[in-house]
Amino acid sequence: MWDWNYAFSILPQILSALKITVAATFSGFLLALALGLILSVLSRINIRPVSLVVKGLVQFIRDTPLLVQLYFIFYVFPKFGLTLEPFTAGILGLGIHYATYLSEVFRSGIEAVHAGQWEAAKALNFSRIKTWTRIILPQAIPPVIPVIGNYLITMFKETPLLSAITLVEILQTAKIIGAGSFRYLEGFTIVGVIFFLLSYPSSLLINKLEIKMNNQN
Amino acid sequence: MSTFEIFIALVKGGIQVTIQVTFFSTILAVILGFISGLARMSRYKIIRFISGAYIEIFRGTSLLVQLFWIYFALPIIGIRFSPISTGILAIGLNYGAYCSEIVRSAIQSVPAGQTEACIALNMTKAQRMRRVILPQAFTMMLPNLGNQLIELLKSTSLVSMITLNDLTYQGNILNATTLETTKIYTMLLAIYFIIALPITQCTKFLERKFSEGRA
Amino acid sequence: MTPIVSYKKITKVYDELEVLKGIDFDIYPAEKVALIGPSGSGKTTLARLLMTLEKPTSGTIEVEGEYLWHEEINGKLVKAGNKHLRKMRKDIGMVFQHFYLFPHMTVLKNVMEAPVTVLGMSKKEARNQAEEMIEKVGLEDKLDVYPSQLSGGQKQRVAIARALVMKPKIMLFDEPTSALDPELVGEVLDVIKEIADEGDMTMLLITHEMDFAKEIADRVAFFNEGVIAEQGSPEELFNNPKTARLQSFLSRLN
Repeated sequence: MWDWNYAFSILPQILSALKITVAATFSGFLLALALGLILSVLSRINIRPVSLVVKGLVQFIRDTPLLVQLYFIFYVFPKFGLTLEPFTAGILGLGIHYATYLSEVFRSGIEAVHAGQWEAAKALNFSRIKTWTRIILPQAIPPVIPVIGNYLITMFKETPLLSAITLVEILQTAKIIGAGSFRYLEGFTIVGVIFFLLSYPSSLLINKLEIKMNNQN
Repeated sequence: MSTFEIFIALVKGGIQVTIQVTFFSTILAVILGFISGLARMSRYKIIRFISGAYIEIFRGTSLLVQLFWIYFALPIIGIRFSPISTGILAIGLNYGAYCSEIVRSAIQSVPAGQTEACIALNMTKAQRMRRVILPQAFTMMLPNLGNQLIELLKSTSLVSMITLNDLTYQGNILNATTLETTKIYTMLLAIYFIIALPITQCTKFLERKFSEGRA
Repeated sequence: MTPIVSYKKITKVYDELEVLKGIDFDIYPAEKVALIGPSGSGKTTLARLLMTLEKPTSGTIEVEGEYLWHEEINGKLVKAGNKHLRKMRKDIGMVFQHFYLFPHMTVLKNVMEAPVTVLGMSKKEARNQAEEMIEKVGLEDKLDVYPSQLSGGQKQRVAIARALVMKPKIMLFDEPTSALDPELVGEVLDVIKEIADEGDMTMLLITHEMDFAKEIADRVAFFNEGVIAEQGSPEELFNNPKTARLQSFLSRLN
């Protein structure tokens, strides 16, 4: 049933596809961080139409499947003249989808900053931008770093969805190998083990960080 | 095709499977979540280990990998499920692991004084759990379980990748046969959003109610 | 007379901190004992050990001639099992500083819960007894109210009714008024006094209310740094403290 020789023979091919998975994870994550931060700041702006549109958009993206969003980006965007490579479409989908989650995380961090900090910044005549960059965000972000870290792991585990838009990441590689040899057990098991070996220790590390940060407060 | 015709075609062809998979995998996930969440706090090390292994394995790998594994790899060792059972099983097992953390953290957030009061009244461990701890933990779990339900609903779109005829699969079929790509995928997103809407509203209501109760 | 509770060489250590340093202490049937002393002196731990909320590090406790935390099997003392602990708890009740009412149950349900689930009483009988106890603490108009709608004093009176309905022989009051606003202390003390005046219940009262201790206690024990530094009748202790520790403790209160 389980063939070790076969498993070892396909391992290098799967591992080489890991580069794509990891690259997609981090590119998507960076995009999600940037967009998430912008969304959270926009939703706090006191212009009602802006914050309403942002809130509506965030909820729509959050409540619809990433898979369908990926299809949308990959198949609908070209109709409007924007044809994207699978990799680009993939990180765009991942980044936009998780930006809505991260914007909530940033928002909670921002709300946890004491109201007096805004007043102090005003009293010291900080500009609005300096208030954000020098006073509020430096206090809002560190406490939510563990949560952000958990989203990085979540995004890593979501990357197999990019195979649906023909990106050959590790799961797709295993599937292609399996389709050629009619042996799926080894390939998919290896992929599962790779995900586990990378995400479980990372989540333990984040737990530790969280406990350490809680103890400091 | 008109937008309305596309809407009808998507719903007619795919909504039944989406709802079925959502419904049954939710039930499975909640049951598994309670069992493994309670087992995680067992006084027997072996039970804690087994539930811990279940939780970490299903949280630590990817849902799509689990889905493919059950669908493509398990038959090789002689275990075969129909596509719909595969979908329900994979999603139920995966979200069960997440639910168990919700169950556990809610139980642990019931103040220790409640347990002490139960001991002082000479309740057994089972009575304490059933009558005092779980009822309080349950109201705390509800908003989080609601959020998980939305995640679960979204994840049912993955079953389209094992040839199950759900909304997403139906969208892909329509896309291949008509050329109404923009309308199809826009409508598809809208349908998922509409299904999720009552759940989100309900969850938000519970979140508000819960935070009032604590204030 | 044989004591109803007997602590023998009891020690309790948390991490490195020794909160009880070999306590020998007897309580007699129907006696009202007040424990006083600075916070962290070990008096609350003494009550929590008796309620089996915490295990002694060493030493034994006997209740009505039977070991509380141990069982005698073939003449050997072994750690008590769950069954033994449940049997021993039958005669002991406790009132906590922070009440610990069940927030998801009404006043009536809070008091009925243990008679029904623990004693297996019929709902009707439990209801009768619960109502009687709630009346005794003067809250008969709050039967269907949830704890969140009660004042601190009312919560504590419900907690007393909840403990009383189990008909314990020994009642432990762990700083029952310390979490209350000053104007609500009186109503709770009145209820405790009423129970004390009925006479036959053994009571262990941990308190910072010296006047109240003087009023109801037969004996007062002063705890300091994990030992009983001084004990005796309220008159002896309050009017004529012998140790310098107690003198300074009492003078700081006034």
